[in-house]
Amino acid sequence: MFNRRTLSIIKRELREKVLSKSFIFMTLLIPVFIFGILGIQMMLINYDSNSTASLQVSCETSQLAAAVGGELSKLPFVKDGSFKITYNFMPQSDFEKMLPLLKKNMLNDKLTGVLYIPNSALSDKKINYYSKNPNNYLLLNKFRSSINSALINIYFSEKQLSAKEISFAGEGVDINGFRISKDIKIKAEGFGNQVVSFLFTFLLYFSLIIFGTMIMRSVVQEKNNRIVEVLLSSVNSKELMAGKIIGTSITGIAQMFIWLFPLMLVISSSVFILPKDFAIDVSLLQVSYILFNFLIGLITFLGLFATVGAIFDNDQDAQSGIWPIMLLIMIPFFIGISLVNNPENTIGIVASMMPFASIIVMPARMTLVDVPSWQFALAVIVNLSTLVLIFPLAGKIYRVGILMSGKKPKWSEVVGWLKYKY
Amino acid sequence: MHVLEVKNLVKTFDGIRAVDDVSFAVPEGSVFGLIGRNGAGKTTTLRIMMNIYLPDSGEVLLQGAKAGQDFKDKVGYLPEERGLYKKMKVIETLLFFAELKGKTGKAVERKAIEYLERFQLADRKNSKVEDLSKGNQQKVQFITTILHDPEFIILDEPFTGLDPINTNLLKEIILELKNQGKVIIFSTHLMDFAERMCDHITMLDKGKVILNGALADIKAKYSQRNVSINYQGDLSFLKSSPIVEKIFEYGNSSSIKVKEPMQVQQLLKILVDNNIIITKFAADEISLQEIFVELAGDENNNSITEEAGNV
Repeated sequence: MFNRRTLSIIKRELREKVLSKSFIFMTLLIPVFIFGILGIQMMLINYDSNSTASLQVSCETSQLAAAVGGELSKLPFVKDGSFKITYNFMPQSDFEKMLPLLKKNMLNDKLTGVLYIPNSALSDKKINYYSKNPNNYLLLNKFRSSINSALINIYFSEKQLSAKEISFAGEGVDINGFRISKDIKIKAEGFGNQVVSFLFTFLLYFSLIIFGTMIMRSVVQEKNNRIVEVLLSSVNSKELMAGKIIGTSITGIAQMFIWLFPLMLVISSSVFILPKDFAIDVSLLQVSYILFNFLIGLITFLGLFATVGAIFDNDQDAQSGIWPIMLLIMIPFFIGISLVNNPENTIGIVASMMPFASIIVMPARMTLVDVPSWQFALAVIVNLSTLVLIFPLAGKIYRVGILMSGKKPKWSEVVGWLKYKY
Repeated sequence: MHVLEVKNLVKTFDGIRAVDDVSFAVPEGSVFGLIGRNGAGKTTTLRIMMNIYLPDSGEVLLQGAKAGQDFKDKVGYLPEERGLYKKMKVIETLLFFAELKGKTGKAVERKAIEYLERFQLADRKNSKVEDLSKGNQQKVQFITTILHDPEFIILDEPFTGLDPINTNLLKEIILELKNQGKVIIFSTHLMDFAERMCDHITMLDKGKVILNGALADIKAKYSQRNVSINYQGDLSFLKSSPIVEKIFEYGNSSSIKVKEPMQVQQLLKILVDNNIIITKFAADEISLQEIFVELAGDENNNSITEEAGNV
């Protein structure tokens, strides 16, 4: 299967792909795109439309109003005037009488919201917020801790405690993550590995789809332009398929290497020091596993994509026929990105050792947790066996398909091709 | 000496016998024509010979041994449905296909340029294939077929889609290759091309061989009692004539078969007596077209194969 003819095909594929403009564009653009997606997501989550607001804080007593006012005015956005807050105090019955007027002001946007802090808050910390949009947590969270400290201060001021003790009571809990692994030392864990896991999942997903679609189109083109018959007069279908897949795989690995190179540089040298929260704990061995895993994945999926390409003789039909294989990439992709929330969920563990899924899920998982070596071994065995099992079938369908033209075949007919003598 | 032998090939697609027990032998240094109408099984036979299809049964022998990959390297094959990589440059295309046949280096490149010059494409060698006209793409395709200096040249319907000038150029090159001692096998449904170029023919109909042998022998056999005429007038009266066995009309020419060899002179007399203006009268002549129509033309005649046999 590997001979000078295969080599000629590989060379042609490489000339066509690696030297193309689209390869350079893709190599540069995809990381930009991935970080773009990450960035946009962050931006959307943190996007704050409440850069200005006017609030009224009504308290039941003057003591409360003074304490809350004192705390709130320490906030930077109150200090600089982008949030306008008016304070007053009145008994609850007066406040309720005033509500209709406040309601009118809120409906015509003169007021963003009204907080009412009753005296009972000093025992049960329950306060009321009136607004057109009372579930705007982003806005409420800005005040939550200030109001909390005001309440705490009043509550403890009668109890003879030092300022230090009071401030301790007011603080939230800060949880630091430490990753436990077989290594003796326990490392503090930042966001770095979550980002890397995300990155691996995205890169694998994009690469498999891009190179898969590329080889599929190339097969469809050869079939559609009838080049295939000229090729088959010189090479056999196995040599052709192997040449195309190897050529495309080399292109894919080269691209992945380019993408992972900065990461390897970061983890293998001390020149680049990342902020502690973004420290990356990935070994070169793991990166090598990813490249190896990616190579097996590429060959497997390229074989499948090429086979689908061989079944159809135009791009549209091929695009609509590719969905079963797309699912094999997309479902693991979603499992992969969900691992960030809990890397040890059962679906993730099983998927990381399942045929096809393992290729995308395992790299994501291993950057987040310490994967036992037997699971690595199993994943490699599963992936290699999948490769060995699907290729005879894929090769057969490819062989029959590339010379078929005319009407779009049904799936049942494609299964029938497996019985053809060719 | 037969350099290439095809023995009892059978190929079935979805229950239809596309090639049904086809056997023939290609003599050394000949131009061999595989002829028959569309769907007769010519392309399938050629594909089996090229090892693109595996036959259900039968074999292809190259100098007595089973043809394998070594045969592929010695063959230049021009498929009926042509295709090239559209985005590749002309010269790259030529070198790529030569490389697949194991020919690389400066010599092939020089030869590629020579052929491009001959086909008046030298100035387009760095153009992309998609930028060439269809006719020029066909020329490039033809060069890919012969660039690696094959011993066998297999052309599937080589003349379809060519303009008269390129048709002549192609014919010229085929004859030139023949003179270099190459074996040329081509399929065609155009009988007059086959007649002008082939030494040997095999005629296929519905997957079966209905005629096989040297063209000269075949014509000698079928031309007896046959008269080709060019004329003006109405020949319909001949249909009821007792001496006429068959008549084929092709507009202003006609082919008439009489019952006995002696009746040829009688036929001429009848034609003159009936005021037919004769511009050409050729006794014992028959075109391949006429043989083909005679053998395969009548859909209801099932005895054709028994009648025809090998010559």
